[in-house]
Amino acid sequence: MNSSEEKVRAAIAEQAGEWFVANDEKSLDARDAAALAAWFKASPVHIEEFFGVSAVARDLQQARTDPQYSLEAILARARTEGEGPVQRLWPREAESVRGRPFWSWFPAPALATCALLSMGLLLMWNLKSTERPAAPDGIATLRFETRHGEQLTQRLADNSILHLNTNSAVSIRYSEGERLVTLRSGQASFEVAHEAARAFRVHAGSADITDLGTRFDVRLDGGSTVITVVEGRVTVGPSISRQSLSRRPIELNADQQVRVADGAWPATPVAVDAERATAWLHRQIVFQNEPLEQVAAEYNRYTARPIEIATPALKTLRISGVFATDDTDAFIAFLRSLKGVRVEVTATRIRVSKD
Amino acid sequence: MACTTMTAAEPKPSLVGRLFAKHRAALQSFFLRRVRTKADAADLAQEVYLRMLRIRDPGAIRNPVSYLYTVAHNLVKENAVLDRRQASGVDIDEMSAQEQLGTLPTFDCDLDATQRAARLRVVLRQLRPKCRAAVELRFTHDLPYREIALHLGVSPQMAKKYVAQALGHCRRRMARMG
Repeated sequence: MNSSEEKVRAAIAEQAGEWFVANDEKSLDARDAAALAAWFKASPVHIEEFFGVSAVARDLQQARTDPQYSLEAILARARTEGEGPVQRLWPREAESVRGRPFWSWFPAPALATCALLSMGLLLMWNLKSTERPAAPDGIATLRFETRHGEQLTQRLADNSILHLNTNSAVSIRYSEGERLVTLRSGQASFEVAHEAARAFRVHAGSADITDLGTRFDVRLDGGSTVITVVEGRVTVGPSISRQSLSRRPIELNADQQVRVADGAWPATPVAVDAERATAWLHRQIVFQNEPLEQVAAEYNRYTARPIEIATPALKTLRISGVFATDDTDAFIAFLRSLKGVRVEVTATRIRVSKD
Repeated sequence: MACTTMTAAEPKPSLVGRLFAKHRAALQSFFLRRVRTKADAADLAQEVYLRMLRIRDPGAIRNPVSYLYTVAHNLVKENAVLDRRQASGVDIDEMSAQEQLGTLPTFDCDLDATQRAARLRVVLRQLRPKCRAAVELRFTHDLPYREIALHLGVSPQMAKKYVAQALGHCRRRMARMG
């Protein structure tokens, strides 16, 4: 296993550790159980590492009679910890490993405030991080960005949670009267902590969204803004500069989506499966009877090796499936299983043509 | 559209199941053969993974961890292998998380318990002291996180974080020794 693979494994193992601990003292609630099941389903490696951390716990459990694990011995060793600056948990060798910046996600130990964060926290899903830096109230504008293929989850100063999809950027400005997020590019999902006195607003393209206590997703797609509500409700209006009496905001409820095209208002909400629209949160993309061209475009948002459809007739080929955004091999295998489709894989792209 | 006939777009696709449908039988018999002779964590994981993908209703797995252990447990049991669809034998769901660990198969058959314990002692030494103490207190003394936190002078959240990190670290070090 090469070093960057090992780094990925180490990150997955730590996540497995987090899940193990979360389930350790009491069973997970329904929502966490679903999240864990989704995590397992994302990759067999997740399951393998979970087995691995379980085995460590089991081995320790079975070694309990060993005198070196007597309460006194354990506590005596714990006291040897210095009071000085935070020690490194990871051995030095891990640092000398230089992978692509993609994986350089190791959290800096004492990041108190940060004006700019631009990192690939790809594997940080579900980490219920309470130690993430919080934005000081009032002044600072925070900016978060992800590169191609990266995702990021960030707890904000008010305990709202921001999930940022691939190739996306937001800036966040909290003041006494308002929490304002501007989606500059890409896609973001929000789990908003309700505050009666301070509205949570998202400005995205030509739309303005005001949260009324909820989870919702916003995506900038070409010239339009797509808003999907997972839970609760939001109001969506044209961005402030375009507001007028004839352009009243509309209300959007759970499992509804609206596409606000530049200049076109009012927009009409449609019913959707919101979990599907936010499958990316579990690093999945879901297609149901959708043309290959659209599937490829969606897939290409994440991959370093884009899909190219060489035979125009194949663009309208309708396919269905659920894929992990980071499991290229599974997707290639799927394409190969389609009748009449030929798939050539080169170092830089995946070429799909008619057989 | 001529090409829509080439592949049937199912109204309700069995998700990634489609992907594996073709090779499922071969894959499974391969995994099961290996699992029977050597409970390799990677093989077991693969087999459990395939099973999970086949579950249409994600809500069906009430307790994902019990599910994982149950399937693993049954896979290495000869009887369960014969009747693969039944997750019976032990009612892992009813056990506490700590008790459930006892049902886990021994993954590395090449190592006996003494050898694994010796290796574990080595990898534990690489942890920083509080982190090491947290994981040891949790599993060799079954102390609740609240008490571990008191002993170490940290918050319960921190105690949990220590244990999670320690588990992940030890797991990888153990794997790399293997």
